[in-house]
Amino acid sequence: MKKVKLTISGMHCASCAGNVEKSLRKVSGVKNVSVSLMTNKSIVEVEDNVSEEALKQAVAKTGYKVVEVQVG
Amino acid sequence: MEHNHSPVSIKQEKNLKGKSVKESAEEEEMRLWKRRLWGSWVFALPIAILMILERFFDIMVFGELNSLVILLIAFPVIFLFGWPTIRGGLRGFINFYFSMDSLIALGTIIAYSTGILSMFIKVQDYSGVSAMIMAIFIAGKYIESKARGKASQEIKKLLELGAKKARVLRGNEEIEIPISEVKVGDILVIKPGEKIPTDGIVTKGQSAVDESMITGESMPVEKTIKDTVIGATINQDGILYIKATKIGSDTFLAHIINLVEEAQGTKVPIQKVADKITNIFVPAILVLSALTFIGWVVFSGNWSSALGAAISVLVIACPCALGLAVPIALMVGSGMGAKNGILIRKGEAIQTMKEVKIVAFDKTGTITKGKPEVTNFVSKVNENYFWEITGSLENMSEHPIAKAIVTKAGLKNYKKFTGFSVVRGRGLEGKIGKKKVVIGNRTLMNERKISFKGFESQIKSWEEEGKTSMIVAEDGKVIGAVAVADAIKDDSVMAISALKRRGYRTVMITGDNDTTAKAIAKQVGIDEVIANVLPEDKAKKVEELQKKGMVAFVGDGINDAPALKQSNVSIAMGTGSDIAIEVGDIVLVKGSLIGVVQAINLSKATFKKIKQNLFWAFGYNVIAIPLAVAGVLNPIVAELAMALSSISVVANANLLRRVRI
Repeated sequence: MKKVKLTISGMHCASCAGNVEKSLRKVSGVKNVSVSLMTNKSIVEVEDNVSEEALKQAVAKTGYKVVEVQVG
Repeated sequence: MEHNHSPVSIKQEKNLKGKSVKESAEEEEMRLWKRRLWGSWVFALPIAILMILERFFDIMVFGELNSLVILLIAFPVIFLFGWPTIRGGLRGFINFYFSMDSLIALGTIIAYSTGILSMFIKVQDYSGVSAMIMAIFIAGKYIESKARGKASQEIKKLLELGAKKARVLRGNEEIEIPISEVKVGDILVIKPGEKIPTDGIVTKGQSAVDESMITGESMPVEKTIKDTVIGATINQDGILYIKATKIGSDTFLAHIINLVEEAQGTKVPIQKVADKITNIFVPAILVLSALTFIGWVVFSGNWSSALGAAISVLVIACPCALGLAVPIALMVGSGMGAKNGILIRKGEAIQTMKEVKIVAFDKTGTITKGKPEVTNFVSKVNENYFWEITGSLENMSEHPIAKAIVTKAGLKNYKKFTGFSVVRGRGLEGKIGKKKVVIGNRTLMNERKISFKGFESQIKSWEEEGKTSMIVAEDGKVIGAVAVADAIKDDSVMAISALKRRGYRTVMITGDNDTTAKAIAKQVGIDEVIANVLPEDKAKKVEELQKKGMVAFVGDGINDAPALKQSNVSIAMGTGSDIAIEVGDIVLVKGSLIGVVQAINLSKATFKKIKQNLFWAFGYNVIAIPLAVAGVLNPIVAELAMALSSISVVANANLLRRVRI
């Protein structure tokens, strides 16, 4: 298990955050997701084998962009 | 993993870079919104004028071409300045991730198309309206973003709190380097008025340090050799030399920032309902809008009214107010808390707090300072001589009580004792020159057949206050006595009486014996004492208390972590840089009990705001949507109402700042 913090740009409404959360949840290996519209950050708890790329793609699918990834 | 050799510096570099990236991304976004705002209104305003002239004064500035002119001017508003919204919104129809933008995009495109359609068939031209909707939407979002920025101002300040540079001592030379180049073990020099660059230990010098930005404590704290200092606090009046102990993401400030940021992602339970609605909101509105259109066509046969009502429904529905209601209030609340040294780690605590009936405390380190101190003494001989003898002998022992006495004596040089011995659990004795000195409790005095009659009443009264007495005898005669106690924190009495005034039952859970525990409880005014509790049993005691009501447990997390976990709301006390960050729903940075009262006040005020916001947001949608369905609202009015509703929720959250905690 690892914790990944994503900074996401472009979210400006509550349903945006909801969409990102839904999309991240669908990535296999993702255990827990929280998206904060206020800080533009998402904290994702994932299994070790989940790649950053998979998370980025999940965010991109909803129309937003990951601008920073912090693992730890 | 190839960078294994210096993980710390890499982590930090990332951190610094990350922060600047985020900052600029946010700024860039604001700039883009601003450009869209100006651009859209430059075109929307003439449209507004043309529409007003036509509608109210029957003046067609461009005669028959009026509609065409409006259609042309409206184009850039929607498809240039509104493009990000249109694009984002339409994507929702492709991947089924609908958002607010989907509603606006659909609403404006339909409205705009009527302008083209009206050239061929008889239908009302809503193209001017579409431009107004987009312009108002952009303005609303811009104002909302600004207000949201204000809501997070405390937390932004926290992010920017860290020092940028440090003056490091290399040999005899002081050189200024960027903070990212500081390494653990570096000696840093901090002049008066400067920010302490990172966490460290004072190696030379003394000064008062303003720690208010971290702990909320307004009084400066005296720092001298061996004291720990926190990065980002401000050195006030002396020069300090410190050895860096923590850097980058390991520092106290970095931990606080991380904690506050993570807290924003936690959910207040009441939010769940709002989230559920937000998630199905947009699709539901799309369906409702279609039904409205069909309904109007079927029942009135008027295509124009049907379109107007359908567009109104699309643009009036506001998932934003609903989705923002809780997080925005949490943001303002936790920002206010952070400013006062109260870190809310779990949003849930805010909601649970209002159900709490009992506040239970650990004793040592929570109500008391957690460090024995000499509180009283009596001496029959010269005071200096008394402390010289007492301090020197006690200096041979490592016992916490001995340490307290040595600290109080504050000797520069110690007398040399011979034949020193510790009498376990009783005291110690030794010889200085030919004199035999005994320091110990009653038992030891009785065993050595030393009478302490003259001190009996004094000692007894100390014991009743829960203090430990040490009697000092020289050559078989008592020369004085010292009382040692784990002193009560300065504001414990005030805090507990404030809690009682608010109707909480206060309970102290401690491993101390009954006498000491009761004495302390009496001094601070605690209602109920549970004494002789082993650390591992504290959680069980909390569980028993929970039968009577929800319990908030206040502890320092050192040996009461299970009790904190068991409680409904756990409040962890910190002292300086050793804060129990990993336990506790709420963490108090400064180790004072008044923080508990503030945390409760803050939680209640924040939760009240959350409820208000939800009420407004729900109320707005419940009233506005049916009105739009009924076709009572002009689409422009509908959009205006939508923009105002989300702005009002954010503004209302910002009002939380007026509450004094």
